[in-house]
Amino acid sequence: MCKRPIDLGQDDGGKMAKHAVPELAFWYRCSRRISTGMRMMAGVLAVTVLGPGSAATLAAADFADLSLEQLANVEVTSVSRRAERLSDAPSSVFVISREDIRRSGVTSLPEALRLAPNLLVARNNANSYAISARGFNNAVGNKLLVLIDGRTVYTPLFSGVFWNAQDVMLEDVERIEVISGPGATLWGANAVNGVINVITRPARDTQGALFAAGAGNREYAGAVRYGGRLGADGHYRVYGRGFEQQNTERANGTSVRDGWDKGQVGFRADWGGTSRNFTLQGDIYGGDLEQALPGKTKVEGLNLLGRWNQRLASGSGLRVQAYYDRTVRDQPGTFREVLDILDVEFQYAVQPAGKHQVLWGAGYRYARDHVQNSAALAFLPADKSMDWANVFVQDEIALLAGLSLTAGVKIETNPYTGAEFLPSARLAWKPSADRLVWGALSRAVRAPARLDRDFFVPSTPPFLFAGGPNFRSEISNVIEIGYRAQPVSALSYSVTAFHHIHDHLRSLELRPNGSIVFDNQIEGTTSGIEAWGGYRVTNAWRLSGGMMALNQNLRLKPGSTDIGGVNALGNDPNHQWMLRSTLDITPRHEFDVMVRHVGGLPEPSVPAYTAVDLRLGWRASRDLELSLTLQNLLDSAHPEFSAAPGRSEYERGAFLKLLWRM
Amino acid sequence: MGRPQGGTVRWTVLLAAAVLAWITGGQPSTAEAAEAAATLEHRVKAAFLYQFAGYVEWPPATFAQADTPVTIGVIGADPLAAELSQVVVGRTIAGRTVTVRRIKAGEPLAGVHILFIGRAESTRLVQLSQTAQPRSILTVTETDGALAQGSVINFVIAERRVRFEVALDTAEKSRLKLSSRLLAVAQDVRGGGR
Repeated sequence: MCKRPIDLGQDDGGKMAKHAVPELAFWYRCSRRISTGMRMMAGVLAVTVLGPGSAATLAAADFADLSLEQLANVEVTSVSRRAERLSDAPSSVFVISREDIRRSGVTSLPEALRLAPNLLVARNNANSYAISARGFNNAVGNKLLVLIDGRTVYTPLFSGVFWNAQDVMLEDVERIEVISGPGATLWGANAVNGVINVITRPARDTQGALFAAGAGNREYAGAVRYGGRLGADGHYRVYGRGFEQQNTERANGTSVRDGWDKGQVGFRADWGGTSRNFTLQGDIYGGDLEQALPGKTKVEGLNLLGRWNQRLASGSGLRVQAYYDRTVRDQPGTFREVLDILDVEFQYAVQPAGKHQVLWGAGYRYARDHVQNSAALAFLPADKSMDWANVFVQDEIALLAGLSLTAGVKIETNPYTGAEFLPSARLAWKPSADRLVWGALSRAVRAPARLDRDFFVPSTPPFLFAGGPNFRSEISNVIEIGYRAQPVSALSYSVTAFHHIHDHLRSLELRPNGSIVFDNQIEGTTSGIEAWGGYRVTNAWRLSGGMMALNQNLRLKPGSTDIGGVNALGNDPNHQWMLRSTLDITPRHEFDVMVRHVGGLPEPSVPAYTAVDLRLGWRASRDLELSLTLQNLLDSAHPEFSAAPGRSEYERGAFLKLLWRM
Repeated sequence: MGRPQGGTVRWTVLLAAAVLAWITGGQPSTAEAAEAAATLEHRVKAAFLYQFAGYVEWPPATFAQADTPVTIGVIGADPLAAELSQVVVGRTIAGRTVTVRRIKAGEPLAGVHILFIGRAESTRLVQLSQTAQPRSILTVTETDGALAQGSVINFVIAERRVRFEVALDTAEKSRLKLSSRLLAVAQDVRGGGR
């Protein structure tokens, strides 16, 4: 499995027609029609990609063992030679493609994540989501690691993501890789139940101008982007986007104060070619959120990231990345936080030698958290500097023909518990080129966050809630078995069964003096199945579907005085499924349907629901696209999370969007 | 936002080179050498060429004996020929070993079963195709518009992947039978009323 897939087709494609790139996706579906622009682009790309000599012969023979279909899916312009092999990764990986996002008609990153059958996505209100994999779903969920272009976006405040702070321009997203299950050996603590990698397109692929505008009964949104060249071998893009979402309503029709608006501007610049390239990117954003208390919550932030990839003559690959990330969150009446993070990492993929492919690396992360507490609650100490350091090594060993073992370990330190040991072993067997059987054993750790240790209510003694002085890391030992196959070129599917054994999960212990502290007195198991597949009926019609079944069995340890109950950890359905159909009625007209079913949530009770979304797309010309998305057609409104009667409901929605490329 | 100063870039590259030299035990790490490293595209095309042999049926008289090797000729693409030579070591197609032969302009095509015409020789594509067709040689190219010039299979790059298009009518004229699996993977199939 590749670590952070390095997504840079940085070859000089500057001579291509400026309209060629947006055409790609369309062309892919209508593969019998190769437009002149495409052919031109293919020619240009081929000319520029084809390098002069060949020193390394490492993978040539390996490729000969792939099927024709798999060969046709190898990305030949990616820097990391391990990135190409995502489809061979011995783990549960679902990839949301750019085309999937476009044809779903979604307008936000959390909504796009609903396309992954291995994710639990529940809308809590207009500006808040609960997103998890394999259970423990919670608006402050803490077992999922999320990265945007290699930048970790979870907050050390609670080891989860503020989905109303972190954002991307969806039109510029290349793909979203969703890995369910532990990825701790490569990604570190917090990659317990899953990893989400949001990968934006290289600047070379977003040249020219783009203008998008949309309006619906729930929101308005607009975005502009412009991309150009930088010198001989560089490209850039700048973008800005903004949106406004309306307040939601409760079941009784009263309004919830959760509407919000946000603006974000950013850029990305890439230099270099396939064997050496450099990326610089950054964003600045700000948003105002309605809140129940007087005033408005304000979120602001900025980030700047640099990444350098180098393929060496030896065939080895090197990657160095550094970023700075500031987030500011001001919730009047609750708290105000300014968080600065500096993160540096280094990764070295050693030229495969004999039966071994070694990948190793190291990372360091520094955070300075400054909290202004309110009377109601406090993080104590209010100001805290924290750092994390890690080293990891992984070896992929070819045991026999078709059989390989990937074993690795990461050692990561954190400010609360010192060093954590995160090993994993994955076995992959390919009985033939179009089938993969895999199994994995991993140990994942959720290291304490500030919430687990430093959280007090009220902000001065006597405390009702007195932090978690003894809170230690939560541990999950995980066994997974999976099967992936592509029996014919039009059909592919994946099935994964998993069993997680948890220990030291967070509990709320009542002390003799009447105060409550966080401790680790819950244990138990999570088992389940994830499956998905796709079938290309014709070149113009594609069907796909997925499901997940989950069985959680959590219990208090003997002697626990927990008062929160195991349900405080998450509120999950025991099953969910989805079906999608994407159809080109004509080359210019698209008709897409998605049906989603999510089982009921136990505590607090949320009824099961089935949502049907439709999208009609019309390509008026090569540069102009109009689409109408209708969401939740079946019912006027339904809740997805939280307790009645105060919770928000998700109402029927319509959104008309115009996309214009120049 | 702007292009970094030349000095900054140079400083970064120098520092990086020093780090690399340390890590790799002094292996060469100059940008030039790195640029010269084999691209994935070569390897994928080489793997395709080898695989194609398994999806083509030649006229019965093509192979003298049951163990006559399948010969892949490569013209105008030496780096790819080098990759292909690595690929075919120890591999067989339907019981036949596979050999790779580098062909220079003007050399005869006798004994060749698959002919890859690299971009460097694309100007002679029509002539080579005309020579290959009566000999039932499967011509494979990597040039835009090559099918119209008599090639049977042409590689294209699409969505950063190596794909290929097939001219079924040309294959029929060459008395080559292409398997339906091959056609299913093809990006585009022309002619032959499929």
